[in-house]
Amino acid sequence: MAPDQTTAAPVPLLSVRDLHVRFPTERGTVNAVNGVSFDLYEGKTLAIVGESGSGKSVTAKTLMNLLPRTARVSGEVTYDGRDVRALAAEKVKHFFGVQMTMVFQDPMTSLNPVKKVGEQIAETLRYHLGRSRSEALEEAVELLDVVGMPEPARRVSQYPHELSGGLRQRVVIAMALACQPRLLIADEPTTAVDVTVQKHLLDLLDELRRNRGMSMILITHDLGVAHGRADDVAVMYAGRVVETADARTLFFDMRHPYTEALLRSIPRIDDPVHHRLDPIPGRPPELIDPPDECAFAPRCIYAQSDCLGGVPELSGLVGLHRFACLHPTGTERGMAAMSSNRAAGATAAGLPVTGSGGGSG
Amino acid sequence: MSPDGRPSRKGRASRQRLLRRFRVFRLVRSSKGPESDGPGEDEAVRRRLGVGFWLAVVWLVVMAFIALFAPMLPFADPTKVGYSGPREPPSADAWFGTDALGRDVFSRTMYGARISLAVGGFAIVFGMVVGGALGILAGYFRGRLDQAVGFAFFVLLSFPALVLAILITATLKRSLLVVSLTIGILAVAPVGLLARASTLVYAEREFVAAARVLGARNGRIIVRELLPNVVIPMGALTLLGMAVAVVAEGSLAFLGLSVAGDEAISWGKMIVDGAGLRDLQNATHVAMFPVVVMFVTVLALNFAGDRIRQYFDVKELAF
Amino acid sequence: MARFLIRRLVLLVAVLFAVTFLGFSAMNFLGDPLFNVVGLMAELDCEAIEAGSAEDTSLDRARSDCETVAEARATYHLDRPVPVRYLLWVGDMFTGDFGTSFQNDQPVAEIIREKLPETLILLVMAQIVSLGVAIPWGVIAAYRANRAFDRGSTVASFGLLSIPNFALGVVLLYLLSLRWQIFPSAYESDSVVGLVFSMVLPAATLGLPLAASYQRLLRTDLITTLQEDFVHMARAKGLPPMRIMFRHALRPSLFSVVTVFGVSTGAMIGGSLVVEQIFGIPGIGREIVTAVVRDDFPVVLAIVMLVACTFVVINFVVDLFYSWLDPRVRAR
Repeated sequence: MAPDQTTAAPVPLLSVRDLHVRFPTERGTVNAVNGVSFDLYEGKTLAIVGESGSGKSVTAKTLMNLLPRTARVSGEVTYDGRDVRALAAEKVKHFFGVQMTMVFQDPMTSLNPVKKVGEQIAETLRYHLGRSRSEALEEAVELLDVVGMPEPARRVSQYPHELSGGLRQRVVIAMALACQPRLLIADEPTTAVDVTVQKHLLDLLDELRRNRGMSMILITHDLGVAHGRADDVAVMYAGRVVETADARTLFFDMRHPYTEALLRSIPRIDDPVHHRLDPIPGRPPELIDPPDECAFAPRCIYAQSDCLGGVPELSGLVGLHRFACLHPTGTERGMAAMSSNRAAGATAAGLPVTGSGGGSG
Repeated sequence: MSPDGRPSRKGRASRQRLLRRFRVFRLVRSSKGPESDGPGEDEAVRRRLGVGFWLAVVWLVVMAFIALFAPMLPFADPTKVGYSGPREPPSADAWFGTDALGRDVFSRTMYGARISLAVGGFAIVFGMVVGGALGILAGYFRGRLDQAVGFAFFVLLSFPALVLAILITATLKRSLLVVSLTIGILAVAPVGLLARASTLVYAEREFVAAARVLGARNGRIIVRELLPNVVIPMGALTLLGMAVAVVAEGSLAFLGLSVAGDEAISWGKMIVDGAGLRDLQNATHVAMFPVVVMFVTVLALNFAGDRIRQYFDVKELAF
Repeated sequence: MARFLIRRLVLLVAVLFAVTFLGFSAMNFLGDPLFNVVGLMAELDCEAIEAGSAEDTSLDRARSDCETVAEARATYHLDRPVPVRYLLWVGDMFTGDFGTSFQNDQPVAEIIREKLPETLILLVMAQIVSLGVAIPWGVIAAYRANRAFDRGSTVASFGLLSIPNFALGVVLLYLLSLRWQIFPSAYESDSVVGLVFSMVLPAATLGLPLAASYQRLLRTDLITTLQEDFVHMARAKGLPPMRIMFRHALRPSLFSVVTVFGVSTGAMIGGSLVVEQIFGIPGIGREIVTAVVRDDFPVVLAIVMLVACTFVVINFVVDLFYSWLDPRVRAR
């Protein structure tokens, strides 16, 4: 993606380079994130998409410095020219929560059960912006109004357990927005709420982002959520970014078989009524002592013997359409791989392939 | 974060809150699952008993041996007044010195193990037999019986332990049996609650249901299916319970309300004998040797008990 | 909330009755109450004495003894069955008549009024010591879980939990009062400052083992709480660690501590008997031990009842305290 000439500064707001996160455990080291790099420009939305265990949430927590102490982190995270990990280590005040902040997956657990919601919103304002108690509470009411909470003046003195999941998530969003952050990380913000309110919340987030000129990292397992809301998409698998591009390219001209498989596994509005969804065969990979091969190979219908000979590198430069695949879908190499697998009835990794399973790129 | 695990019915919720109150406050590591920082470590601790455990066991075995065979061992007569001069400091002759009456403190300390361990052992066995039986029956049959037993336990626990003990020992002759029984009664309710809780868990498991389907009678199910499963957590807590009982006996003895008579030597009694200000100032050894031996014994019981508890992964302790 | 309160109140009353009845019958069945009142006179065969010749002057003394016995029977309703006696006794308690000490004919109510403040000061100070020590201790241990401080404190708390109250009291008395002479060795009541100062060691004796158990519970719960999402959220809000600790994590982590607060008060009341003995504090605990040794039946009974009822009420209050700690409890 090229910097936008009109709004964005040439320097990205957030820049991540070669991020690695490892957790030592009893059974061995978990390689949760393996060399993730991306840029996020002012006012843009980056969607990070992947199954659970793909390292997307760990990446988000790393950015927010929320990992447990046992985690081993390497790589560079730069926010507006400043090294975020150094800021965290120096315990710089008024950075997290003011510059960048986060919304968590489950509104049931991300609110403190023993504090009134007003207090929880006001707390940030009082600490970071030095508001008085009453000022902060007034602002909390306004914020609740902004996030579309009915009867905000009454809600501030309620406890989280008195609110529904959707309303709670609105409180969490209001809390995150309190200090006008420039970057919001939303970690599966709608996974835990009712399907009926998911779209409302996503649209609300999108609208708020637009109105306030915020940047956003939207983390989701659902490519459908990213569609229409993200400027850029990064697809993660087994702790690596396997494909990244601007949203249009990724949705209509994807290269990685995993991206393709993800897209096939979600229902689309323009699908015929009885269209069969294709689940991705197999299970997500082990992150402890992963074999030196493409992590997706065991589940990939394009897999060839060279896929098992080492982890493919991400092609191209940061900001361009990049993908890590030796036999990309939609290319001749991909076509060839597919047809040879079909002919053989199985991939090089032993996954059976039937005639109907694949489909054209 | 619901600590009582979202009970299904209101009544049960409030009762659980009541019972929860009597969960242990001694040595409980966790009531909400294993400590999750350092997952590997906890696991490892549970698998091995460790050197400390065996050191504790050696100490306890030695004390038990001394307690059993004290009269046959070459100790001085612990009741002999004027074995040496009064309040003499430790020497080769009297290792722990002598007390105000010139009695040999070492010999008395060794003999003191007899009452402490006898009372401790008897009390916990009594608690396990009576409390365990009541708890299993209440947990298996539920209903009225459960309510009655639960209320009885609740009432027993409503007395501060030492006050209840005093109430009993005050009115009866303070013989070894009475003191042991008294402390045993104190153990009934906590052990009973534990047995009831474990029974509830197992009574709903498949193997019990299977036995019932196969036509087994209640008695058979309780003895063959439930008892072995309930005895394990109870057994794992025996040493911890014994530690509590030994301390309770010591407290009674300290107040002069444990087993009566000069023959009955008890650590608590020895400590109070040496705890007068002048004795403490000039003949510290009279009180300090029994303090140290008692402390090490209780520590060994607690430590070994805690390790066993971890080993069997019994998380809650209802003392 | 109202139904919850009513249910708890009913249970409270039921338990109070059960506890007092149990205590009362223990005193009446386990020992001979008549013996407790009149001592050896209870052994007299009064019927035989009555039947004896009225002229036999050698029986005069015995006759007057028998009158005393009869009087005692009447006063203490000893000719009535135990449940009736119990009800009469409860009635007396309600009218503030706690009986009279055999020892010095002092009304028991007066004795209690005299001795209670000392014990209350001791218990309150002990709880202050234990919470004052346990909360910072637990917070630091949880904040640096499994580091050197935490490991050290595990050992320390294990040791504290294994030392019996009376042994700890004797050791503290010896070290801090006799050896280093920091604190007075005896009870002082000349001034408030002197009183509080002389209560420090007794309070520490009661409070330190309790602090160790509170610390362990608090540490475990805090470690659990610190992994909750709302703590992550608070961190994402950019709040400093200690603020998160005290404003967000501490309150939801106090459950176990509050849970055992009631029980620990019972343990402390027990401990106070011993501690008052060691440090010569003229409180309820010392009074009851003296009364037991002297077979002063009304004093023992009244104090046991008082203590048991207080304990029940404290636990009742602790239960209500839950709803402050966790507003969700109210909803149930």
